[in-house]
Amino acid sequence: MANAGGDKVSDEIHLKDDYSTYLFQCCVCLDLLYKPIVLPCGHISCFWCVHQAMQGVQESHCAVCRQPYYHFPSICQLLHLLLLKLEPVASMRRDREVMEEEKNRRIQSPQFVGQVALPNSETENSSSTNEGITSTDLQLVTENSSAHGLSKKITLDDALCCLCNELLYLPSVLNCGHVYCEACMASMAGEKMECKVCGVLHPGQFPNVCLDLDHFLEETFPEEYASRRQTALVKKSQHQNGDASSSAQGDCTSKKKVDASRFLDDESIHFGVGCDNCGLYPIKGKRYKCMDCKEKIGFDLCESCYSTKSKLPGRFNQQHTSDHRFKLDDSQLLSRFLIQTAAAGNFEEELDEEENVDQDGGNDENPNQFEDI
Amino acid sequence: MLDVSRVQKELVECNRDKQISGVSILLHDGSHDLSHLTGSISGPVSSPYEGGTFTIDIRLPSGYPFEPPKMQFVTKVWHPNISSQNGAICLDILKDQWSPALTLKTALLSLQALLSAPAPDDPQDAVVAQQYLRDYPKFVSTARHWTEAFAKITSLGIEEKVQRLVEMGFPEDLVRSTLKSVNGDENLALEKLCSG
Repeated sequence: MANAGGDKVSDEIHLKDDYSTYLFQCCVCLDLLYKPIVLPCGHISCFWCVHQAMQGVQESHCAVCRQPYYHFPSICQLLHLLLLKLEPVASMRRDREVMEEEKNRRIQSPQFVGQVALPNSETENSSSTNEGITSTDLQLVTENSSAHGLSKKITLDDALCCLCNELLYLPSVLNCGHVYCEACMASMAGEKMECKVCGVLHPGQFPNVCLDLDHFLEETFPEEYASRRQTALVKKSQHQNGDASSSAQGDCTSKKKVDASRFLDDESIHFGVGCDNCGLYPIKGKRYKCMDCKEKIGFDLCESCYSTKSKLPGRFNQQHTSDHRFKLDDSQLLSRFLIQTAAAGNFEEELDEEENVDQDGGNDENPNQFEDI
Repeated sequence: MLDVSRVQKELVECNRDKQISGVSILLHDGSHDLSHLTGSISGPVSSPYEGGTFTIDIRLPSGYPFEPPKMQFVTKVWHPNISSQNGAICLDILKDQWSPALTLKTALLSLQALLSAPAPDDPQDAVVAQQYLRDYPKFVSTARHWTEAFAKITSLGIEEKVQRLVEMGFPEDLVRSTLKSVNGDENLALEKLCSG
């Protein structure tokens, strides 16, 4: 595959010479960010780049700063829509490329229509012609946005905080992909941090500010940003005690140390299987597998998400609905692998083979079927 | 599956400022196989490797950039973290500390940094490391000697060698490819030409 380009290699190199001009570039694929995900540390990467970089057997680390994380976050839709406006041509190209790849791999990333992810009911009756439907949906999205004439220019409405509804100042992104000002997020952080938009609990530590987005907003809306900073400073001096940002920072560092050893020596890890609701990957503890989802990638939940009932569509566009049945599944338990492979005496080999088992597992009969990913 | 477009971008990006950075990457032997590359780094200033140009064999696994590239020195080099026998490199970012945000360029720059700052406590070549710790002046002179002997192949030198070998009656194309395969060592090339 590496030399499939053949004689075209040199030409293509020349053509793509201008890639470094993107303001939002993924550090992994070195291309324009596509379906961006913001990690808890504030660094951004593409949906598939994060997915492929995650570890199926232990905690994953940010490619840039190496901060550990445990959950596969949802796509940041605000940033995704910003990119569609900022780089319409390149976004369309990325769209085509990624869609082609997804088709080849028979696997899907979440699809958007307007502001919301596709609810299950809309595509439910057409699951047999899944690929066709989603491609037209995507066309709809892009047609809509260009028809509105909004695609040319980014307005303040594209970068509002979900809570204060003003221009984002020091934006932080929750695991569900929704963006808040750092101060707004700190104000709603209680024992459990729940997203005000989708109601999903944010697992893990308080997220860091997404600096790339912050710089972009500062340059795009200099006046509004300056006034936001002014008010934020005033507020901060008023609430010296409840200094949100610094206490949050403190939280992060203290948690980081604890996190490092969290996954070690744990036998309840479900190797290569992730939760489709909160994104926990690999699943630790009980794993509930959907018996009715037909997608190859499967649909799984961790124990806490199972007990709270998921409202989200699957991470990979699975057509999961609330009347689907679940069963407890321990077929991917790491301890099982360890025992089996230790008995066979070829643990290392086995692990290499299994390395590419997809995040959502669900492919128990043939765990290697994604090996060409 | 190798991310072809990323590798192409990396090549462009790396070779854009090779004069300043001192590192460059080419396709191996001018082939079209993007998974086999040849990197070169210039020896860092004020180190025993100054003035040398070091060639590094780069092989990209199919999982690249999610797996580290495999790198090995082709040019012989006297360094505690590089095998004097086969050029194997002991560097964490080429092993478990690899991150997909690193690139071939940053990896080569790290190798350049490794040349100027050896880590003898975590050696690849125990002999070199011992010498480094026990008799530093001798280490420096050996490293300098190796740089002179193996890492300084000026283009003029190559032409002279080619000419000499051609005068002995070997075809020029064969002489050039043979010299390249033995990394410019005239005696080895002659041996190979005679036996082949």
